[in-house]
Amino acid sequence: MRTGLAISSVVHATALLWALLTFTTSPLESMPSDSLPVDIISPTEFSQLTAGSKTAKAQEAPKPLVEKQGEKKLVEDHTAKVTEKKEINATKNEQTPPKPVEKTEAKPEPKPEPPKPAEKAEAKPEPKPEPKTDPIAEALKKDDAKKKEEPKQAQKAVPTPPKKPAPKKQPEFNPQRIAALLDKRDPTRQAATGDTINRTASLGVPSGSAATLSQNELDALRARLRQNWSVPPAAEKIVIRMVIRLNPDGRLAGPPQVLTRGSGAAFEAFRDSAVRAVMVSQPFNMLRRETYDVWREIDIDFDERTMFGL
Amino acid sequence: MIEKKPLPPLGITRRHALALGAGALGAATLGVPDLRAQVRLQITEGNFQPMPIAIPDFFGGSASDAETARNVSAIITNNLRRSGLFAPIDPAAFIERLKGVDVPPNYADWRAIKAQALVAGQVVRQGDGRLHARFRLYDVFGGVQQAGQQYTTTPENWRRIAHIISDAIYKRLTGDEGYFDTRIVFVDESGPKDRRVKRLALMDQDGANVRYLTRGEDLVLTPRFSPSTQEITYMSFGQGDPRVYLLNIDTNQREIVGNFPGMTFSPRFSPDGQRVIMSLQQGSNSNLFVMDLRSRATTRLTQSPAIDTAPSYSPDGSQICFESDRGGSQQIYVMPSTGGQAQRISFGEGSYSTPVWSPRGDTIAFTKQGGGRFAIGIMRTDGSGERILTEGFHNEGPTFAPNGRVIMFFREGGGQGGPSLYSVDITGRNEQRIPTPSFASDPAWSPLLS
Repeated sequence: MRTGLAISSVVHATALLWALLTFTTSPLESMPSDSLPVDIISPTEFSQLTAGSKTAKAQEAPKPLVEKQGEKKLVEDHTAKVTEKKEINATKNEQTPPKPVEKTEAKPEPKPEPPKPAEKAEAKPEPKPEPKTDPIAEALKKDDAKKKEEPKQAQKAVPTPPKKPAPKKQPEFNPQRIAALLDKRDPTRQAATGDTINRTASLGVPSGSAATLSQNELDALRARLRQNWSVPPAAEKIVIRMVIRLNPDGRLAGPPQVLTRGSGAAFEAFRDSAVRAVMVSQPFNMLRRETYDVWREIDIDFDERTMFGL
Repeated sequence: MIEKKPLPPLGITRRHALALGAGALGAATLGVPDLRAQVRLQITEGNFQPMPIAIPDFFGGSASDAETARNVSAIITNNLRRSGLFAPIDPAAFIERLKGVDVPPNYADWRAIKAQALVAGQVVRQGDGRLHARFRLYDVFGGVQQAGQQYTTTPENWRRIAHIISDAIYKRLTGDEGYFDTRIVFVDESGPKDRRVKRLALMDQDGANVRYLTRGEDLVLTPRFSPSTQEITYMSFGQGDPRVYLLNIDTNQREIVGNFPGMTFSPRFSPDGQRVIMSLQQGSNSNLFVMDLRSRATTRLTQSPAIDTAPSYSPDGSQICFESDRGGSQQIYVMPSTGGQAQRISFGEGSYSTPVWSPRGDTIAFTKQGGGRFAIGIMRTDGSGERILTEGFHNEGPTFAPNGRVIMFFREGGGQGGPSLYSVDITGRNEQRIPTPSFASDPAWSPLLS
């Protein structure tokens, strides 16, 4: 037992260790790939959209409004039809007492029926016995009045559980009024644009505003630097990061600021070659002046690690 | 002797320099937090266009100095151009005429002709007859001095001054040590093909100052420099068996290395210069031996029924590479310099010979033969990353420049001609013919002289 346990524990431990060592491969260094922007939006539109994105988070409130609009439309349709018909029926019933009571009674009955069969079943037995007693027109009228009240009450009472919220809102959300409400919110326009902005902004923020320069511009800039960079042959693994600030005319506002620190002849030669590449490349006239806000500052990594096979 | 002193940038005192440094540091620390650049670029490729550099004639004191000064700047120009990394600009294009080595240049004028670097210098003969040379290297686009030195030496060293300045410029702009202040030892070949006279010869790396070390009565092969640059070891067919010799190039004293029964050949110094490693023929086989030059003790390194030859030390002296046919064909092997298990590292098609370990330690250069052609190539010390630098009818015998960036070899085109010396960059991009008085073979590069 003991030896078996020892063997199994040792084997498990080695297996775990092996797994730890073999599966913990260092992550491959991948170049940070820039997102590929597409030039469909005009620069001014884009800058306006991104400008709005700052407030986009605060405008998450308008979203529930959109959902309510969808529900209300359904409810309004039903209730609006029902109420209109009732009103018309009620007036017709009162205005046409001479007509055969059965017909008159029958007409109002089926109409209310389709919406609420169970409730009307209760209402039906009441009117049916009454029409047979013709002389009591007054009673009929009273009954009718009662019926009108009753169905209204019944309708109001019974349907309320499902419709309570709807009828209460009905007066508030008449189609015209809804339009008015919508119009009131539209003028702010931040709400409507805010929804769309949220989507674009959440995509755009982490991938950086590299997206704001067109790929053509970036490629042209990259090509210019590449062309003017004579790489010193000292095959050391050096990366130089620098920031350049540009004037609107595409010229450097100041000497490039090298962020990478180092020493040694190879480092100095490499650093100077990178700085020279930037200096020689100006003016950067491939950058459009409209997007100056974007390329006012540019980060550049000069990386020769991948260049030499040896 | 060459004395050397730095030449501080113009108009900057020590206090200024300190203030500048502090200012730069302050700017760096203060400036970083708000550096939120919007666009980020990664440049992973450059071009290999040579860097445009302007080298106006150096200033001289008197008329005779002016001649020397002009020659010095001409040698620098030639050195840098031949390196393949610089493109000296035609002086006819210069706009500004420099006022002197201590007057700052008008950078805009040099920018206009697309010069990226500018060299100003002067050479004057001092009152004591010694030569005083000074130079400044300017970054034209940055508008600053990048390097400055002054040297004092005897007048006959004027060529070396030029090479040393070339090395300083090369180092500052490429980050690598230079290789201009070096010499080449080679086998000079003259006479008709059937009665070729072979002499040991020595010259500067640019082909100047050729000097013959032997008279040509004996056939000589495979000369190699010692790290001290004062001694050469080579193989010579003297009386009897061919032997490995040591030659002091200053005193011209000559001696046989070791007392071996049989032919010794293919010698090379260890990096510390204390030992010579070579092959000894024993019957139809040959094995590697090393001899300590002080104790004269010899050690046998290999014991195989094969031909082991062309040994070369790694720069740290811990390993050697050599060629052997123990596997059937000539291939390159690596083993500890004290002997032991040899690892084959060459596995390509064809046969590999004359391996040489780079002074950088990272690569081994070789001659590769296959399909009736000879190629010069390099590979990593584990045999990976093989790269052919040049290929042709006959290329052989690579030797590294001390910075490991350039390889020299000899090439023969066939026919009635003879071999000549060529150099090629380890990228294979820049091939140059080395001027020699006549045919030449078996070059060996010296370490830096200074």
